[in-house]
Amino acid sequence: MEQKLRQEAKALLEQGKVDWIIGFEPGSLKFTTTPLITKDKNDADRLVINPFIVNNLADFLPEIKGRVGIVAKGCDSRSIVSLIQDNKVVREDVVILAVPCPGIIDLSKVERLVGKDRDELDDVTREGDKVIIKVNGKKKEFPVTEVLFDHCLACELPTPQEYDILLGEPRPPAPNLEVSGKDIENLKGLTPEQRWEFWGNELSRCIRCYACRNVCPACYCQRCFVEETEPQWVMPVPRWQDNLLFQIVRNIHVAGRCTDCGECERVCPVNIPLRSLTREMYDMVDELFHFKAGMDKEALPLMTHYEQEEAEDFFR
Amino acid sequence: MKQKTEWKPKLVGFLCKWCSYAGADLAGISRKKYPANLRIIKVPCSGRVDPLFILKALRLGFDGVLVSGCHPGECHYQTGNYRARRRIAITKRFLEYLGVEPQRIQASWVSASEGGKFTKVVDDVTKELKEAGPNQLFSERRGDGTKTKARSKGTTRARQS
Ligand code: SF4
Ligand code: SF4
Ligand code: SF4
Repeated sequence: MEQKLRQEAKALLEQGKVDWIIGFEPGSLKFTTTPLITKDKNDADRLVINPFIVNNLADFLPEIKGRVGIVAKGCDSRSIVSLIQDNKVVREDVVILAVPCPGIIDLSKVERLVGKDRDELDDVTREGDKVIIKVNGKKKEFPVTEVLFDHCLACELPTPQEYDILLGEPRPPAPNLEVSGKDIENLKGLTPEQRWEFWGNELSRCIRCYACRNVCPACYCQRCFVEETEPQWVMPVPRWQDNLLFQIVRNIHVAGRCTDCGECERVCPVNIPLRSLTREMYDMVDELFHFKAGMDKEALPLMTHYEQEEAEDFFR
Repeated sequence: MKQKTEWKPKLVGFLCKWCSYAGADLAGISRKKYPANLRIIKVPCSGRVDPLFILKALRLGFDGVLVSGCHPGECHYQTGNYRARRRIAITKRFLEYLGVEPQRIQASWVSASEGGKFTKVVDDVTKELKEAGPNQLFSERRGDGTKTKARSKGTTRARQS
């Protein structure tokens, strides 16, 4: 896959079919990858595809001028489609290099599983349904599902539907909603007071770095409501009340565009379980309006469309 | 002797200027009585109501929020109320999931000729809000507003990659 990607990327740049390539290259920390955005065909050899390509690169698309070749896993491709639906990206201006995705490894799950810091691990490799973790020269084997991100366990579209170049054999979806939805189910078992208390506590750690928003492909506003000063919707100081308000409104704003890519939760520096918000909204939108973000580029965006009769039950 | 007055919920109403605001006006002109705890904000269309307004009202301590517009099919701008309906539906459901009392988010369709219906809506909503009690959602009553205290209480998870 990696070889094919490098060839295709090089060819696209050489033939002038794209101005930019966005992909992944090895990161500076062990196992990690980092986005590579380049115009130089010689950089194509730095591109990688491995079980650690976490970023949703669609986030960069609206800001880049010119034609772009972009590496996309299933969830990323849905974000791209969603941006096309929102008229933020022109389909003809992107060349989607599709990665059939077997799931991305969550290093913090690996750390918890073997009780070691990632710097102490010799190697983490994937072989089919197994992950092999090498520590102190010893190999340990686990089912790969124990170390994949929760949102990967829920994945409905491992192989992009919308693409220009397919880099490998398509993979069928195999969502395990029971495992991936555990946190949300647990929350639903609490009383409303306990739930509100839970979120108040969680969001009291928020330092309002806005990483969750900045990394989100659906949050592309030139000026977010939190930065407006007339009126000032939230105070700049990160009190839990305004932190929670921000996160609630953000979730409502991205409803129907959030693809459950898991990026917001991953980047949160204080580990707020944001996916327990975004995924619930995702399911709610599906249940109420039978809408899933980024599945069909011809479909009208959720919030610009309506049915004559729907969601009437609570209207007086 | 002054009697201690009964607690009355504070309600903010976002009323569309074409239907519900006119309906409220009609209720006034016809001298219909409805609870005086409603603060009305006139909006051009129910579709103008960003869910942010609803959250901000709760954040400011209002006990309930009412969004009211023209009946489906009668929107002055054809589709504004349908869009409002989607937004309010997810806002209400999402807030319930978070633990907000469902009574606090209210919505109605009231036309310009329905002064009577408007009175009834405000009456009923007020009753429901009395059940729900004062809005303490964003108050500091639990003492969990201080960051240090909550940090030790909140769930700590392993570092994310
Ligand atoms: S809200 Fe989070 S999970 Fe949803 S698209 Fe944005 S970054 Fe991805
Ligand atoms: S939170 Fe809302 S206003 Fe802010 S960037 Fe996201 S969608 Fe835009
Ligand atoms: S990433 Fe986390 S800490 Fe930063 S603003 Fe979002 S919720 Fe708050």
